[in-house]
Amino acid sequence: MSEANTSETAAVSIRHLSKSFDDVEVLRDVELEVKTGEVVTIIGSSGSGKSTLLRCINWLEKPDRGSIHIAGQRIGVHDDGRPMPVRELAKVRAQTGMVFQGFNLWPHLNVLHNVTEAPIHVQGKSKREAEELATALLEKVGMSQKHDSYPNTLSGGQKQRVAIARALAMQPAVMLFDEPTSALDPELVGEVLAVIKDLSAEGYTMVMVTHEMAFARAVSDQVVFLEKGLIIERADPETFFTTPKTDRVRKFLENHDTPSSA
Amino acid sequence: MNASAWNMLLEGAWTTVWISAVSIAIGVVAGLVIALIRLARIPIIDQLLVLYISVARATPLVTLALFIFLSAPDLGLDLNRSVAGILALTLNTTAFNAEIWRSAFRNFSREQSEAAMAIGMTPWVTFRRIMLPQMVITSLPGLVNEMSFLIKGSPAIAVIGIVDLTRVTNRISAVTYEPLPPILVAGALYMAIIGCLVWLQRLAERRANRLAM
Amino acid sequence: MSNWEILWDERAQFWSGFLSTLEIFGLSIMGAFVIGCGLLYLLEGSRKRLTTPLRIFIDGMRMLPFLILAYLLYYGLPSVGIRLDAWGAGVGALAVYHGCYFAEIFRGNRLTFPPGQIEAAQAHGFTKGKLFFRLLLPQIIMQTRPLLGNQLIYALKDTAFLVIITVGELTAAANSLSSTYFIPTEAFIVVIGFYWAISVTMEIIIKQCGRFSAKRGFDNV
Repeated sequence: MSEANTSETAAVSIRHLSKSFDDVEVLRDVELEVKTGEVVTIIGSSGSGKSTLLRCINWLEKPDRGSIHIAGQRIGVHDDGRPMPVRELAKVRAQTGMVFQGFNLWPHLNVLHNVTEAPIHVQGKSKREAEELATALLEKVGMSQKHDSYPNTLSGGQKQRVAIARALAMQPAVMLFDEPTSALDPELVGEVLAVIKDLSAEGYTMVMVTHEMAFARAVSDQVVFLEKGLIIERADPETFFTTPKTDRVRKFLENHDTPSSA
Repeated sequence: MNASAWNMLLEGAWTTVWISAVSIAIGVVAGLVIALIRLARIPIIDQLLVLYISVARATPLVTLALFIFLSAPDLGLDLNRSVAGILALTLNTTAFNAEIWRSAFRNFSREQSEAAMAIGMTPWVTFRRIMLPQMVITSLPGLVNEMSFLIKGSPAIAVIGIVDLTRVTNRISAVTYEPLPPILVAGALYMAIIGCLVWLQRLAERRANRLAM
Repeated sequence: MSNWEILWDERAQFWSGFLSTLEIFGLSIMGAFVIGCGLLYLLEGSRKRLTTPLRIFIDGMRMLPFLILAYLLYYGLPSVGIRLDAWGAGVGALAVYHGCYFAEIFRGNRLTFPPGQIEAAQAHGFTKGKLFFRLLLPQIIMQTRPLLGNQLIYALKDTAFLVIITVGELTAAANSLSSTYFIPTEAFIVVIGFYWAISVTMEIIIKQCGRFSAKRGFDNV
């Protein structure tokens, strides 16, 4: 691992991150650096701490030790240990866009307003500006026919595509995907993965937790394997999937669909 | 019934409507405030609110209205009838509304506020833009139902001498010696008022179903 | 002598008011229960000529304040030659009014009843009456008990309206004591305490019934 201090330029920079729930250590001294434009996939069995790691990045979980910088700004606490006031924390969080396993669209708002809500009420954009942006983003995720629909009328795949547009609308420095296809019916997985793949081609910075191995291999620049809160392997996708260094990863890959290099 | 009887009935209906409307308006907001305070779980205050809600829900409106109107002078308060009536209806409906709001709070999912926080909303913006609108939509059918109950309980204020839509029938029959017609007309007017609320409740339910994901 | 001592000396009045309220409440909810079950039974029949007016009657009652019905029975009925005393009119009005609410609660539950059970019973040769009383009614009552419990509390509170048509019950006792001795605050606090105690007791009983019901598996059908 390069130890060069690149936290000024990296989209996400995680140093010495540790976190326990009660007395179970879920993250142990995790180090991770995501460069701008890079796609990093976090893989591991359930309970390995991968979702917790992702949720620490935008401070939905508070780590016990360590530091996280988003686009050079520290999140959650100041360097002198003072907790960040909520307004300041919200500002840094706005630099990240998160896509949840369960979509978490706001059911009282239609599709368009789900996307414009934060640009208007967090960034203070004008309604017109926000709607222009939202229209463009909904087109990008293939949902431009559904502006006026309410979330409860959409399929899971459609909901997730709107959720992606909602996160993109804040023009975040990094997109966080927390198992974005795990709650979908199998036939709807493809449409969501296609959208994410387009984003990676456009150069968006992304950190993704997923079980879709073939997909991870196709879009990632860096694959990280988490086991009991420790990063035990990290590599480019070719190396990771073809010549893993540890037995643990080899076993894990055997138990999952061996991905063809799609 | 002659024209003056009809006039009196309409005046009685107006009294019922305005006193109930004021009580509903105060009761809905006060119920929300109580539900919010109870979220904070402040010791003693929380227990006092639980006691208030339990007692207010069990106390008949007639008894409450008499209690407030008769004992206000004891407590050094000079309440006129209308204020005493509004106070009784409000104290009653607030307790029910507080429970309706509280259950909306409890059913609000953590994921919803996480999505708001993750996108950079402060807790206040999250409350105002995400939580409160959803709670209003989910609570509205219950709140409107409680409004119907308040109208149905409102004749209780007749006991402290307010001439509402029920009491006015006595006044009319004291002159005409025909109690049946004014009572029937009053019943029809109540049905019209409550019918409107039932219709509103149906609309509110249809909207609330949208939130069922 | 303190105000509270006056009230203690007059405890007999409270007590008789309390008993009177309990009596009115007990009789009227029994009546309401029978009326509710009867309406449900009549609604079971599929003859539209009967069910439509019944539905209108039930919905109409639910859109009226209780006191209007009490007025109708007490002040209105003499116009058509039926004269009831205040007590009879009060109990009758309570029974009819809350009977309609009971019927609506039962009907709402009946709509969600799985048809398989009824078909099974019919296949076993149950008559309509037996099917209703042995199969439908017990399950519906056990499943609707939280709603019935709420309705009982409403019925209890509605008994206080009868003070307006001059029935001597609990609230009337407080009212007369407070005007005799000019101690309204204390008198009404005592009476509100009585109402509260009855409600809390009913809630506890309903909860106990819930345990029984859970044990018998009524809730999982």
